[in-house]
Amino acid sequence: MEQHSPFRMDPTRVMDEITAFQRKLASGMGQLRGARQPEYANTPRELVYSEDKLKVWHFKGDSKPTSKTPLLITYALVNTVWMTDLQADRSMVRNLLEQGEDVYLIDWGYPDAADRWLTLDDYINGYLDRCVDAVRQRHKLDAIDLLGICQGGVFSLCYTALNPGKIRNLITMVTPVDFQTPDNMLSHWARLLDINRFVDTVGNIPAALMNYVYLSLKPVRLNQQKYVGLVDILDSPVELENFLRMERWIFDSPDQAGEAFREFIRKFYQDNGFINGALDIGGRRVDLAAITHPVLNIFAEQDHLVPPDASRAMGQHLGSKDYTQLAFKGGHIGIYVSGRAQREVPPAIHQWLRARD
Amino acid sequence: MDKQADDFFKTGAMKADLIKDFQELARQSWETFAAQMQKQFGVLGADDFSKSSSTKTSSANVTLDHAMAGLKSYADWMQGAAASASAPQGDWRQQMQQLFGGASQPFAYGSAGADNASAKAFVDQWQAWLQTHQKERASHGQAPGQASASGFGFGHEQQVQQQTLADAVAKHLEASQRYQLLMQRSNAQAMEKMQAKLSTLTEPGQQIESLKVLYDLWVDCAEEAYAEIALSEEFREAYGEMVNTQIRVRQLQQEQTEYLCQQLGIPTRSDVSSLGERLQSLRREMRSRAAVPVNHAEEIAELRRELAALKRQMLASKVPAASAKKAAEKVASKPTKSVVKKSVVTKATSKKSSGSTVKKSATVSASRAKPAVRAIVRKRK
Repeated sequence: MEQHSPFRMDPTRVMDEITAFQRKLASGMGQLRGARQPEYANTPRELVYSEDKLKVWHFKGDSKPTSKTPLLITYALVNTVWMTDLQADRSMVRNLLEQGEDVYLIDWGYPDAADRWLTLDDYINGYLDRCVDAVRQRHKLDAIDLLGICQGGVFSLCYTALNPGKIRNLITMVTPVDFQTPDNMLSHWARLLDINRFVDTVGNIPAALMNYVYLSLKPVRLNQQKYVGLVDILDSPVELENFLRMERWIFDSPDQAGEAFREFIRKFYQDNGFINGALDIGGRRVDLAAITHPVLNIFAEQDHLVPPDASRAMGQHLGSKDYTQLAFKGGHIGIYVSGRAQREVPPAIHQWLRARD
Repeated sequence: MDKQADDFFKTGAMKADLIKDFQELARQSWETFAAQMQKQFGVLGADDFSKSSSTKTSSANVTLDHAMAGLKSYADWMQGAAASASAPQGDWRQQMQQLFGGASQPFAYGSAGADNASAKAFVDQWQAWLQTHQKERASHGQAPGQASASGFGFGHEQQVQQQTLADAVAKHLEASQRYQLLMQRSNAQAMEKMQAKLSTLTEPGQQIESLKVLYDLWVDCAEEAYAEIALSEEFREAYGEMVNTQIRVRQLQQEQTEYLCQQLGIPTRSDVSSLGERLQSLRREMRSRAAVPVNHAEEIAELRRELAALKRQMLASKVPAASAKKAAEKVASKPTKSVVKKSVVTKATSKKSSGSTVKKSATVSASRAKPAVRAIVRKRK
């Protein structure tokens, strides 16, 4: 029996579809061309500590924090920290303030040639430690709450294991622990990289190269389909602005300090240090079993950068008896900016902290 | 397709004309659109999508560049697909091949994300260099890959360097080809997946009626196929080899450039890197010294106690016991101003200065103090 064709296209309707696409593109392109760079949320904040290119911001909410312990957010070195405060109605920082948290954020800045030799030891036992101390001293507290995001989550795990007395509660978001799960494409690609020659030759890793690799994870979707979808929202100023803001964030990324990058690739992606043991930062052994603090681990179920299993592994390796895991229905970025994230993530963080404040 | 159109297609004699007319209509439509864009923005035309940012007026133009690069291939595909998809053909599989095979595939730009323009330019550049190099060697009677005939003498080292670079370029081109083959396989597997999915959509109510739906289905298949390839052992090796060989070429290129710069007395990347390393080492040292916790009050009190004890000892050996006791009590309650001040100055300096300054301050204090006090300073150091 002859199979029917799956195509049932009316030439007139197809022509209408093409014409409509072209019309939208033509009328919307003017808006796109003349559009100004959208601002981030810019939640009111004050500078409380700075060192080299790093800044620690203290955010100001409309009312005083109800939380007794300040929360320090440490973001990844890749991309900028403003994903946490992208726009007023999609700001994790603003949402946490509204919940009653006292929020601090480390802005790592943009490394240049002078930062080529910054190591993970400099970042974790140096910068991060001094940021934690600055917040502790400001609040006259022995220990504060730490929230690490993505690579910042890896840093916060290392830091807490090495400095258990300075952290009260630890929260990690989209943080990989097992870097070699079968679905981890980045890890798969990085495994056979001659990382020593790579860093020796390239020096600091250019942001454009990092972006290119990220786009390569889903090349058609991220290089083409996304922009085909853009045509549909060109006539909506609000949606267009949101789109442009996200684009700004995606392509406004810092270069990576060469040495830190070398170490991160080798120790985590290639050696899977958390899982295989023998991980050291600045000559000090990092053992996740040393983390006996309350830990809240939040990951995204559709994360193509940090697969859920990479995060789930955390529970098996911590020494903590108070470990909570939260699976978010969304992706690596949606976990900060989607409508669902606004409703679910900051309230969950606050409730969890409140029970342990 | 509505009944009227269906009937229309069934009129076999008219089929060829209709397709031709439709393609002409699509072409005209596109040209009209392109002309409109040209008029509106001055730079855009059907073949000018990628040149959209000749004048950058806002950061949105960065998005415009990305968007236009992606949209061009989509628009091209739509134009071709409109004719193919609407045309009545015996075998829909052939129709699919026309829609997504070869140059008409919407994946053309998307996969360029994994094989972008700069990567291609890199390969092209080195391919050209390699050919020139091989021609030069051939003109000197040397076969490609053959070591230099002159094993010594002036210029031998440069020849060896050139040959090493040529070998590295050849290896990289080989690795790139291996990678490209995997990309092609990814496209082929995407076609197979697309065919499998389409074969489940042949019943009325399930059939594809719009280009956008067809495109989205294709993207799903393309990404699925790509992910399978990209997570394979074969890809891991090919990817690693491609990157490593490319970096090797760049490394050799840098070495040659550095050599030339050194001959001309121009600072090189290695010089800058070396300075950067030393700078970072100093920053680290400075921070670690500044981080040493100092309890001034406790230290001063300790110094006072030690000083008082020493003075008591000194007085006890030189003056009658009663006077010594009185003097010692006086010292314990109010220590000698000059010595305490020097201790404070030394501490303040150590808090905000580098290591060398600290040592200097400590030495100055010690040299001016009495022998016993000098001993205390040394001990503290």
